Amino acid sequence: MLSPYGLDIVESCLTCKTRTERLFCNLPAAALQSFENIKFASAYPKGAVLFVEGQSPRGIFVLCKGRVKMSICATNGKTLIVKIAEPGEVLGLSATVSGKPYELTAETVDPCQVNFVKREDFLRFLKEHSDACFRVAEQLSAKYNMACHEVRSLGLSHSAGEKLAKLLLDWSSRNGEATKQEPRVKIALTHEEIAQMIGTSRETVTRLFADLKKKQIVQSRGSTLIIRNKAALKQIASD
Amino acid sequence: MESALRPNRPQSVERSEGPFCHLPDSALRDFELLKTSALYRRGTNLFREGQAAQQIFIVDQGRVRLSVSAESGKSMTLRIAQSGEILGLSAALAGTPHEMTAELLEDAEVATIQRKDLLCFLHEHRDACLQVVNLLSQDLHMAYDRVRCIGLTRSRRPRSLGVH
Repeated sequence: MLSPYGLDIVESCLTCKTRTERLFCNLPAAALQSFENIKFASAYPKGAVLFVEGQSPRGIFVLCKGRVKMSICATNGKTLIVKIAEPGEVLGLSATVSGKPYELTAETVDPCQVNFVKREDFLRFLKEHSDACFRVAEQLSAKYNMACHEVRSLGLSHSAGEKLAKLLLDWSSRNGEATKQEPRVKIALTHEEIAQMIGTSRETVTRLFADLKKKQIVQSRGSTLIIRNKAALKQIASD
Repeated sequence: MESALRPNRPQSVERSEGPFCHLPDSALRDFELLKTSALYRRGTNLFREGQAAQQIFIVDQGRVRLSVSAESGKSMTLRIAQSGEILGLSAALAGTPHEMTAELLEDAEVATIQRKDLLCFLHEHRDACLQVVNLLSQDLHMAYDRVRCIGLTRSRRPRSLGVH
């Protein structure tokens, strides 16, 4: 079934073809059936807000398709994008488990399919299925690892150039590009959003990209960035 | 991990303010049996960033500095962990290297539990697994607070946020 946003909606987790590739979704049969009974499949367009930082947790959102921008906002309106969530991630997990407010705002950057589970149903599900509980613990561990990585990057990087180089290297290590001589990075964010990821201004990001292109360290082909000189980029990242 | 001042001493089963203090008696007893306790000197690194996670650590009394570091050697304090907290939990569960370094700020008695024993215990005691999920959630909340603090208050020059 196609959604209004062009997504091919997977109605049932039991028939999902990518389920076994994803940590949380790859549940034993009994747990999967229980999860199927408590989840609500929804489609969202780009730019939809799933939950807002500071909001009381309603439940978890399992991202099936599309990507979601996870951000933190200061009282002066300044925004920091903490990460771009990929399919398979469970959003709002720590807030739902702890009962504390959502720590981040989740906004779709693509049309997305999301499976929502209400908080009380999810907590009951975890009590009844220890395998699922373990998967959740593993997801939380991965998120914690990433948050520590973010703290290291923000707190210990000297300059915006260093942070941008680290971000590009991180992106280039995914999707099978890590071993390539000239890895390619699909840039799905604007310069403003990249600036929000590394805690700088849009103008600085635009200038830094221009510098990198001038020095032939990177090259643009449409929305794809080719890293021509990985060694030079690593040098900038470790300065 | 660096060596203890005084190794191994039997742990008594106490229902104090520990992380699993609300578990049933049988589960708590099983948990206590997994612990190996020893005294460590101030300045000891319980684990280092990047080191394989083979154990979790519970500091009986004393504080621990949790920090991350750059390749240049510069380090930054994430937070100060208090007595009774479980340290190294996320890395031990995920089987990934430790994300940070844990340094004792004073002489302390520290209990350790081997990773494989912990995993068996969690598989056998569902309540404990839920409690671990709660603990990880709290750790994540604190980490995001730190991200917010650093990421949204930085000026052009880094401030002194425990950067060494």
